[in-house]
Amino acid sequence: MASVSEMYDVGWEEMRDKLRKWREDNRRNSEQIVEVGEELISEHASKLGDDIWIIYEQVMIAALDCSRDDLALTCLQELRKQFPDSHRVKRLAGMRLEALERYEEANKHYDAILQDDPTNTAARKRKIAILKAQGKSTEAIRELNEYLEQFVGDQEAWHELSELYINEHDYGKAAFCLEELMMTNPHNHLYCEQYAEVKYTQGGLENMELSRKYFAQALRLNNRNMRALFGLYMSASHIASSPKVSAKVKKDNIKYAAWAATQINRAYKLAGRGTKETKYSVKAVEEMLESMQITMS
Amino acid sequence: MPIQLTSQAYCKMLLHAAKYPNCAVNGLLVAEKTKDRKKDSEPVLCVDCLPLFHGTLALAPMLEVALTLVTPCLRSLSHLSCRPNQVAEKVAARISENFSDAAIVMIDNSRLTMSCFEPIVIIYDHHENKWKSRDVTLDSFEDWSEAQKITSALLEGRSYENLIDFDNHLDDLRNDWTNPMINKSVLDLC
Repeated sequence: MASVSEMYDVGWEEMRDKLRKWREDNRRNSEQIVEVGEELISEHASKLGDDIWIIYEQVMIAALDCSRDDLALTCLQELRKQFPDSHRVKRLAGMRLEALERYEEANKHYDAILQDDPTNTAARKRKIAILKAQGKSTEAIRELNEYLEQFVGDQEAWHELSELYINEHDYGKAAFCLEELMMTNPHNHLYCEQYAEVKYTQGGLENMELSRKYFAQALRLNNRNMRALFGLYMSASHIASSPKVSAKVKKDNIKYAAWAATQINRAYKLAGRGTKETKYSVKAVEEMLESMQITMS
Repeated sequence: MPIQLTSQAYCKMLLHAAKYPNCAVNGLLVAEKTKDRKKDSEPVLCVDCLPLFHGTLALAPMLEVALTLVTPCLRSLSHLSCRPNQVAEKVAARISENFSDAAIVMIDNSRLTMSCFEPIVIIYDHHENKWKSRDVTLDSFEDWSEAQKITSALLEGRSYENLIDFDNHLDDLRNDWTNPMINKSVLDLC
């Protein structure tokens, strides 16, 4: 079977740099990481210097994702030899047990770390991840809430909690988590847009109006966010067709929806330039927008 | 209401699940519009699968957009890859509003293998306000051995890397969520 370097005509430095980029972007493209990383480790270990340890860690986690326990164990053993007392390596050992669904043993591992170092956030979060994997959503939510009382600035945790609430259909609490994230990241269009989606899902006129405002805000922060554009269109349309609104509110929302519709059509036409296939999408979108106009008036 | 899956429908469902092993995924199965079915016992043939989302499945707006885009031309059912939970039931209910029947087809992840030696879907029908699972036999497929062969080949060839769902489409409108290239691969293997 051809090696990665043969197939893509790259040298070991490019492979190492690719792995670094994936680390920095926090990407979970585990199959690719395993492919590139395995070759790098087996053929070029001596050239990597101290980089090799972080690469072992990255490849090990990716290997767990791909059920490559053989590779994961190899990486783990090298790390253990080099860093025998490290909590960071112990956490990786715990993750391997999680991947093998040996949750009791994994929990013991993390408890041992926490005995030694009660402020170890990684171990606490892994324990919550185990609850999630076991389907114990209520406990996971409770533990995560407790964690956040102590570590109120942990954005990854707030986001995880919002997802857990969404899956439990507790949209009110999910919205609260997203509000925390928006406060600390006012320029992040993704949080605005997700908040708007949660408000939309909650339903009701007030939430729909909030939803429209936050879709609009997301668009102001990033005018290429298609979800925000569609969301603005849908929320404005819903408000305009509600029997409870005044004539002025109805008129305003028809205007917003019409503006969004034009932008959507424009975006599709731009995307469709030159390709035959996307003509289906352009037509479908036009039809969708037309049919909704009918229901609105 | 019995349903039958074509190789293309089954294959794309599995490719979607394989592409996002760490997320829940959902999508729509589409059947051809039939003018009239002679008997209720004649199976409805699901000819294609439109993968929708991966990750957070429980939010309404994008789902409404997808359903509205698809509704005018097709008669559809739905599929999801975890236990039929509230989301699945809500989607199916929404589909039922526009079409007479909806069913949920689910993939049993734990049985997903490269060789696809057995069908790994579970079909749920709506009876008296509850979703009941039904036995899946080889009759649930238009041609099981063909479906098995094609799905296995595409999984091994990692075609799922090129599968586009509605989420990918929203990230970049040029991504075509009807997946013409994969449809062509399926046809080529038939």
